[in-house]
Amino acid sequence: MEMNTRIISHEFEYFAPNSIQETLTLLDQHGSEAKIIAGGTDLVSQMKMGKRTPAYIIDIKRIKELQYIAGDMVLKIGAGNNLRGVMNFFLPASVPYAGLYEAIRSIGKTQVLNMATIGGNLCNGSPKADTAPPLLTYDARIKLVSLKGERILALKDFHSGPNRTIMESNELMTEIQLDKLPKGTSSAFEKKARVGADISKITCAVTVVRDGDVCRSCRIALGAAAPVPMRAFQAESMLTGKIMNDALTEETSQQVAQEINPPTVGRTHPEYRRHLAAVMFKDGFRRAWQQAGGGK
Amino acid sequence: MKKYTIHLTVNGEKHTLEVYPNALLLNVIREDIGLTGTKYACGTGQCGACTVEVNGEPVLGCMTLAVAVDGAEIKTIEGLAQPDGTLDPLQEAFLDTNAVQCGFCTSGMILIGKDLLNKNPSPSESEIRNHIKGNLCRCTGYNGITRAILKCSK
Repeated sequence: MEMNTRIISHEFEYFAPNSIQETLTLLDQHGSEAKIIAGGTDLVSQMKMGKRTPAYIIDIKRIKELQYIAGDMVLKIGAGNNLRGVMNFFLPASVPYAGLYEAIRSIGKTQVLNMATIGGNLCNGSPKADTAPPLLTYDARIKLVSLKGERILALKDFHSGPNRTIMESNELMTEIQLDKLPKGTSSAFEKKARVGADISKITCAVTVVRDGDVCRSCRIALGAAAPVPMRAFQAESMLTGKIMNDALTEETSQQVAQEINPPTVGRTHPEYRRHLAAVMFKDGFRRAWQQAGGGK
Repeated sequence: MKKYTIHLTVNGEKHTLEVYPNALLLNVIREDIGLTGTKYACGTGQCGACTVEVNGEPVLGCMTLAVAVDGAEIKTIEGLAQPDGTLDPLQEAFLDTNAVQCGFCTSGMILIGKDLLNKNPSPSESEIRNHIKGNLCRCTGYNGITRAILKCSK
């Protein structure tokens, strides 16, 4: 199909269910021919370019059941919350979840933050999704629901390849779950893009648990650095229980650069991405470390 | 393809429209309702020229299905001036600071600037630049645009 960004040229049938139950029934009926739309900021663009041509569109933007943020020991974020709502919930950048706040803020465009949802950012399956790296460092879980039941799985097992996820065509993502982070935790997010409010070239999120000079644990995740948003587990293990110093940060940053699996096609050279990964880890780690220590 | 009946209140005026599900809000506003102040530019959600307010929040008209906003209150650039033609203070400021060059980004810029001023009546220059980050000016007239919004900052 020829590209035309003024109109959507293919035809589809539209549904706007009012409840999760109604959505699941529609998904069960239309399955792989249907596509869920929430904010539409990714999907409409893909439809205009003819990359996706679903026969049925199921609009979940009106479902209030998917729009909540609540919980204490486990923070539950409804997948239908728009990004602006999630960002404002973590405002002013609350120390443990600062990385998620910064990631959403980096998307930049006020209009997109109003439209796009946190569930959509993940379900679109992009390796560049800005909310994925911070959520990975929080060991986030997601809830997928279908008429047959529900399953809760780790976000790290959700993406299965570029623009692909393990979600079945009859499933709906309803919730993102975050465990309460221990005392002394902070996080940060770093992003490189060509211009402000742009799609990421590469991103890095770091979450540290600090006890004085000791790094109790550090979790590192990167976006646009591999076919899927990824954790750098080997680099993380170099820091567990260690007394921090500049040499160790440097050494870990080299491991982060080694561990990523950057695409070899496209306009960003893989070696440049590796270089950026190391620098961004260092910047992110430094900020998270200082915030966790109350600014020191 | 089946048509859907939708109701939109645009700048206070009620409209009942028959639209195809793949019709975009921007095209419905421009072609069905006839308000051409809202612009089509990139069509892929990068430039912000198609910005309109839906239920008080700015969104991209070119990325919004018209059926999806059935029942909404919509404000476009045409709805900013008083009924007697008196311009909004931000529109006046855009004229005063020469913030309009080719004019194609102007309606989006004014609406996003208005959104900022509604939420934060006294934004700083950096807050302004951050808020309008998603609106591109092909003439690169950002300094004038920023000055215009700053002029309305209390």
